[in-house]
Amino acid sequence: MTNPTATATQANLGGKYLTFVLAGEEYGIQILSVHEILGMMPATRIPRTPDHIRGVINLRGKVIPVLDLRLRFGMPAIEATETSCIIVVQVHGTQMGLVVDQVSEVTTIQHGDIEPPPSFGADVPTDFILGIGKAAGRVRLLLDIDRVLSTDEVDAVTTAAADVG
Amino acid sequence: MPETTLDVLALQLMQLDPADNAGVSEFVAGVRSFIAARGGTTGSPSLLNLSDTADLLDLVAAAQRGVLLADAGRYIEQAMGGDAAPAPEAPPVDSDTLPPDTDVDLLRDFIAESRDILTGAEAALLELESNPSDTEAVNTVFRAFHTIKGTAAFLGLSGLSHFAHHAESVLSLVRDKEIPYNSRCADLSLRSADMLKAFLDAVEAAIGGGRLVPPDGADVLTVELDGAAAGEIFEEALVETTSVEIDMTAVASVPYTGDPAADAQTAAENASAMMEAMASAVASVAAGVAREQPTGPVKAKHEAELSVRVRTDRLDRLIDMVGELVIAQSMIAGDSGVSQLKNQTLARKITHAGKIVRDLQDLSMSMRMVPLKGTFQKLTRLVRDLAQKSGKSVEFMTNGDDTEIDRNMVDAIADPLVHMVRNSLDHGLEPRDERSSHGKRPQGTLKLSAFHQGGHVVVELKDDGRGLNREKIIAKAIAKGLIESEKGMSDGDVWQLIFAPGFSTADKITDVSGRGVGMDVVRRNVEQIRGRIDVASEKGSGTTITLRLPLTLAITDGMLVRVGEERYIVPTINIQLSFRPTAESLYTVTGRGEMVLLRESAIPIVRLHRLFGIAGAAERADEALLMLVGDGERQCAVLVDELLGQYQVVAKSLGRGLGTVPGVSGGAILGDGRVGLILDVAQIIQLGRTAGNDDVTPVNDRRSVA
Repeated sequence: MTNPTATATQANLGGKYLTFVLAGEEYGIQILSVHEILGMMPATRIPRTPDHIRGVINLRGKVIPVLDLRLRFGMPAIEATETSCIIVVQVHGTQMGLVVDQVSEVTTIQHGDIEPPPSFGADVPTDFILGIGKAAGRVRLLLDIDRVLSTDEVDAVTTAAADVG
Repeated sequence: MPETTLDVLALQLMQLDPADNAGVSEFVAGVRSFIAARGGTTGSPSLLNLSDTADLLDLVAAAQRGVLLADAGRYIEQAMGGDAAPAPEAPPVDSDTLPPDTDVDLLRDFIAESRDILTGAEAALLELESNPSDTEAVNTVFRAFHTIKGTAAFLGLSGLSHFAHHAESVLSLVRDKEIPYNSRCADLSLRSADMLKAFLDAVEAAIGGGRLVPPDGADVLTVELDGAAAGEIFEEALVETTSVEIDMTAVASVPYTGDPAADAQTAAENASAMMEAMASAVASVAAGVAREQPTGPVKAKHEAELSVRVRTDRLDRLIDMVGELVIAQSMIAGDSGVSQLKNQTLARKITHAGKIVRDLQDLSMSMRMVPLKGTFQKLTRLVRDLAQKSGKSVEFMTNGDDTEIDRNMVDAIADPLVHMVRNSLDHGLEPRDERSSHGKRPQGTLKLSAFHQGGHVVVELKDDGRGLNREKIIAKAIAKGLIESEKGMSDGDVWQLIFAPGFSTADKITDVSGRGVGMDVVRRNVEQIRGRIDVASEKGSGTTITLRLPLTLAITDGMLVRVGEERYIVPTINIQLSFRPTAESLYTVTGRGEMVLLRESAIPIVRLHRLFGIAGAAERADEALLMLVGDGERQCAVLVDELLGQYQVVAKSLGRGLGTVPGVSGGAILGDGRVGLILDVAQIIQLGRTAGNDDVTPVNDRRSVA
């Protein structure tokens, strides 16, 4: 029990997850927050925002922001491949796209198969990891999508706004 | 006669011809006997409405029955739907809170609907001002109060329902011709309408679980209404229509001087004066009676408006989808596979689909449009109240209130218009005496008109008052330090001064206006919705204020520009001109800030590609274009590579996930389906200044920490 806050929220983590690949690692997000999956499309870059914000795309008449999850997690950027796609997630009514290398499958992970996130020390941030799912002999990092979307974006925007101030 | 049931009534109604007097009477009798058999209308709003409709059917002319019969049909249907079950005992309701089992959605619908109904009622009341014998208008108001009463009772809002009952009872006397419609009655009814609105506000405020506080003054008004219903209005009406001030004391107060002859003479003189006064009184009463005769047949303007309430977010979504459809369609039509097609029929079908899609787009945009009628109506009411308060006599004319404008704009122009009307009434129009001494009609006129002109909606407020006073404005502006002298200022320049913050030439502050806040707020509000305000004035003959507004807030007129590989939309309203600078006109200040010399003024240059960190853009200003942009106060020249053309785009937010992005006001879907960013010129100017333009470190160069 290294992370008490995560332990507190362990109770109902079991359920269906959409899993995807990012730089060879497998990740999962709760299926309920996934809205749809789109093929790669060019995004319009937004000036004065952090690198990991790819820009905005047109989702059938709605403008939504797109994040590059590789850059969000500090992994090296790559050119989009054939398997790259955008997972549109919806959290608290806000839609956002996440660029990932490849979508794998939808799988059920039992509560008992989820372990609390490990701690690697201060250098490796794990605060957006809900837990580690082990099913069918594979290990998947289950993401806390709220944290992935919020913390840094809010910071980036407030910093940029302060520049204008 | 068989026992009347709702089915029998419905059948009767279906076969009924509105012109068939006997048939209508029979139907009305049937409704009454049904309600009587059921033991009253308690607990069933639809039956209450039905009963009311039946009452009205008895009263109105054949031509107006159609609508009422349709109403009756609807109420019968509702009653069949089950709410006409034998009247239950009304549960006791604590008036301090909302009933615990209230359906909040139902309550919100009720509030929205009642507000609409009250707006209609207010219009009818104002119509009654000019035509007191309009029975249809009285019916409209009565129906409004009655409907609110019924529904409020159904929802358990006892306070509101009680008040509506009192308000209604006065009007029912008018409707039954027991009392005439006079100014007291008008005043009470208008105040009742206001009070009902206040009640609705109170209910709305209580929805979140708060206390339901009856509005201030409700008790007082209720007592007044009761008094009126009990006959006060009737008496006062008699006095009002026939009263003429005759100084009866004139005869009695003949001073006794001791000289009988002189006393007799004075008494005789007074008596003859009195006779004259009485004669004129009789004449004026006769005139009054003549005026009260109905002037021709009452207009049948109660049209059944069939409408459906739609949530605005759903509507916006529909408009979005249609916009996408247009893009998808143009992609198909523009596809190389289609243009090389040998099959002519397919090409024709695609063109046909394109036409339908464009029609659909026009239609979807028009769904957001509402007429200005409601806004104008509120102003009519305002003018009436203000004129009464200031003791001025004003004729208020409106024109073009069916002009349509975007729903959001309606709210946005309401405040500016109120300010403008107040100003015109208070400062513009002179008091009666002053007008007479200038040889004008004692009654001032205020004319409000709206019309379309060149893709804009123009709203114009024209008064025939004293006009703006050039000398006074200049003196005030100099005193306030706004200008140094009037040298070289045209009238237009001078009039613009009245929009300066805190500017007022009024000598005294009145209740109505003159506090110096007003016109600057008006201009700010109008500019916020990308409109323009102009003043024209002639001393002694009046002032005209013109608002020029875009048709809709959703559509931005913009210039698409290219910077490197990026495209941006600059709102046309911010663009003054674009030009290619010569090398000689460019210079730098202390080696950093770049300026361009244009018409002898130095304008700072903002390099958009540096500010936004865009690669591959033109570096040399004399090989690119400078676009002179301004936000009304400041301006700058933005360096862009190319102008791609003018577009009308639908402005959208970038999504909540991003918050606000400095320099960008939103996004828009371009013709190729991609998103283009709309620049916020005011912020760009600000960014250009604070960033010093040269030492900007684009955030993109910073490695984000994850």
